[in-house]
Amino acid sequence: MDIVVCVKQVPEVAEAELEVAPDGSSIDTEDLVEDINEWDNYAVEEAIRLKEAHGGSVTVVTLGDEEAEDVLRRALAMGADAAVLIDEEGFEGSDAFGIAGGLYGVLKDMSCDLVLTGAQASDDGWGQVGLILAERLGLPFASLAVDIRIDGDTVFVNRELESNTQEKVALPLPALITIQTGINDPRYVSIMGIRKVRKIEIRETDREELGLSEKEVGFGGSGLASRTLSLPSAGAGAEILTGNLNEICEKTAQIIRERGGVA
Amino acid sequence: MIPSRPLFWHIEPVWLFYVMAATASAVFAYGTLRRLFVWAGGVRNGTPFFSRESMKRVFLDGILGRRMLKEDVAAGMMHLLIFWGFLGLFAGTLLLGIHDYLFRFLDGTVYLVYSIFLETAGMMLLTGLFWALVRRYVQRVPRLERRADDLIVPVWLVLVVLSGFLTEGVRLAIQQPSWEGWSFAGLRVAALFPSSGSLVSFYPVSWWLHAILSLAFIASIPYFKLFHILTAPVHLYVSPCRPVFIPADEKGPEHHYLFHDFIAFDACTRCGRCVEACPATGAGEPFSPRDFLRWARPSPSVFPLALSVPEGERDSCGDSLMWHCTTCGACLEVCPIYISTPDAVRRARAAAVEDGTQVPTLLVDTLEKLYKYNNPWEASKKNRNRWAREMGVTDFTKTKKADGICYFVGCTTSIETRAQGLARAFSRILGHAGIPFGTLGKKEPCCGDIAFRAGEDGLFEEQAEACLDLFSRYGVEEVVTSSPHCFHTFRNEYPAFCRLSGRPPTGISVFHYTQILERLVKTGAIRFKKPLGLTVTYHDPCYLGRHNGVFDAPREVIRSIPGVSLVEMLHHREKSLCCGGGGGRMWQEEFDSDPKMSEVRIREAAATSAQVVITACPLCLIMLEDARKTSGLEDSLRVMDLNEFVAMALDLADENKEEI
Repeated sequence: MDIVVCVKQVPEVAEAELEVAPDGSSIDTEDLVEDINEWDNYAVEEAIRLKEAHGGSVTVVTLGDEEAEDVLRRALAMGADAAVLIDEEGFEGSDAFGIAGGLYGVLKDMSCDLVLTGAQASDDGWGQVGLILAERLGLPFASLAVDIRIDGDTVFVNRELESNTQEKVALPLPALITIQTGINDPRYVSIMGIRKVRKIEIRETDREELGLSEKEVGFGGSGLASRTLSLPSAGAGAEILTGNLNEICEKTAQIIRERGGVA
Repeated sequence: MIPSRPLFWHIEPVWLFYVMAATASAVFAYGTLRRLFVWAGGVRNGTPFFSRESMKRVFLDGILGRRMLKEDVAAGMMHLLIFWGFLGLFAGTLLLGIHDYLFRFLDGTVYLVYSIFLETAGMMLLTGLFWALVRRYVQRVPRLERRADDLIVPVWLVLVVLSGFLTEGVRLAIQQPSWEGWSFAGLRVAALFPSSGSLVSFYPVSWWLHAILSLAFIASIPYFKLFHILTAPVHLYVSPCRPVFIPADEKGPEHHYLFHDFIAFDACTRCGRCVEACPATGAGEPFSPRDFLRWARPSPSVFPLALSVPEGERDSCGDSLMWHCTTCGACLEVCPIYISTPDAVRRARAAAVEDGTQVPTLLVDTLEKLYKYNNPWEASKKNRNRWAREMGVTDFTKTKKADGICYFVGCTTSIETRAQGLARAFSRILGHAGIPFGTLGKKEPCCGDIAFRAGEDGLFEEQAEACLDLFSRYGVEEVVTSSPHCFHTFRNEYPAFCRLSGRPPTGISVFHYTQILERLVKTGAIRFKKPLGLTVTYHDPCYLGRHNGVFDAPREVIRSIPGVSLVEMLHHREKSLCCGGGGGRMWQEEFDSDPKMSEVRIREAAATSAQVVITACPLCLIMLEDARKTSGLEDSLRVMDLNEFVAMALDLADENKEEI
């Protein structure tokens, strides 16, 4: 079972105080820590587990700057065997189709039984790259997988739907599956683990080597452009309490009491 | 006739005995070798093999049983009776061998002394064994287990001794020697038998019985906890040489345990002192140091016959066992042979962290935060020095030079709201006393304690390097910490890290803030005037007291405040009970029991009827503060950091004080 996992490096924003950059259409990432996209982390873990159960190999592919090597090293430390870094130069401004085009450039020449991607990336949130990639590779696909079972040449996938329901689908291999969070418990990657894979060579490639023209990817190939980005304003029913901690606690307690939260 | 004893008297064929002895020795050697091969697989890393402390421990704690007597006089006496009795009989047998094969000296008076010596040893052994059985099965001392080998081993030994006395008695009854009075025990046995011809035919039966029982006993030593008679002295010997830190090796040994750990696993007799001392066990968690040691003990792999660890025993304990330990060190404090379970736990965690798949989810989050944001609390580096900015504390990374003592605030004290009170109070006291100081501001990294305790050695190394680089960049010479954890890491683990990773020595003097406060009181830099009229108790943080021996500095400070009466809790100083926050447990709620360790502790504090429980560690402060609230003690008991208490006594009011 040879598996390819497409991963992305994204800024961590869970507890960050985000600020819109002066250009009005992006986030100021200066103070943000970069890490693997959460969905992709589950995808790598799932690939490693499938490899541990069925043998074979795992290759991780990313499109990014040289810093993105970190997420590849991290995946290698988790147990991936090889890694490919597509230089993002020339891909700036790409839409999902452009990104998928870059990944397709690498994957079209590889033989593999399964392609995994995260269901979406936390920064752009398109949720399209995996599916476009499947189309371009001509592979059957399933999205939002929360369970994967392989039986011979068939892969059974449980897809997460609304209201806690799951749909079980069967696909012939090779196939592409996009992974939902919670499908597994991703393992911890130790510093020592990352140091151990320091010497594994990462294949680097770029737009030209992949034979992609400026009209296919980047701004030139993009069907959409980001115009403005804004932080949500406090809507009705939301109240931001101010003051020092004592005052905030006092007000909170008062509100809870008023609304009948406590007797 | 000269008093002496014929060897192999009436015993035929003698060669059979030698064959049996050789077989027993072979079985013994096989069992011992199997374990030695396991030991050889442990990490040694050039640990020295000799220290004066080694000899001291073997003599005082081994031969004289110092630690055993100190913790439990009855158990200590019982053990000494068995140990010395056994040793006496063993020496007697050796002497007999020398007498028979090398040169004859057990004749006449020497024989009589020898005889009375053996009688005494036999009686001591027998007394000790009965005492042991009474303690375990009649008194049912709670810390003792009642497993199969707990019964078989002493009963077997009793049979060995009794068959020995029987053989002697029968021989004396037949021989009726004139010196039989010297064999006071054998004589009593002899009196049971009428002297007759049939006794002569019974004598070989009794002799062979004794021989078989004894040889089988010797053969079984490496297979039961009996093995401790060989391994416990070895562990006493190697225990002072246990390395604090071993550089993480990329190739990595097959085992993560040290040579010392493997010896410890074989040396543990399951006496249960650690079970009584362990705060996790005390709070009802499914963990005890004793269980961990049994779980960690590997089956020998070099030889296929695994007789010692029954399969399944490992599974029943589970891999989660190692995450319960707070590394408080209470078990090490009471272990008669200095087995350091927290260190072995740490090695087990290192293996788990490297594998990565069995690390508890919350700990994974914590370690990732530590790596990315240099603190275990929040996914941001921004707020680390907010309190210091607000107070206008000097930031050495801004002034570019450490003029004065460097206050290493630590992650928890910097970020956690309750613990920040400690930092503000300490800064106020230093300011009041006119001591120049500053912090490392936003650049201050985590000292590495949490990573180290969690077994993430690679991360510890990175953080240690970051800290040391900052210290040297800003010319820091003296460091004072809020947390005993940072204090311990700087004081004990950094020097070992520098030594073993080829870095120059740290070149810094490290203090815990309690030591600085004590100095300020002694030099008169701070003087208390207002009597407080309070009864207080002091909770010893594990990493300040037990791990670093700082017991008196905080107590001296408390006693120097007029109108304060200090009362002690049941567990104090070396015996202090952990709050449950150490060893990474602060960030692992999933293991909490009911009552929590912190609740057990706060109840003990409440039992002293003190109005304030004072502590000297941000983790203890948070844990005890929470426990006070969950235990319904909000009205009767206050939890304060020593800094806050001192600041209150000095009337250094905290405008930002947010008493919640």
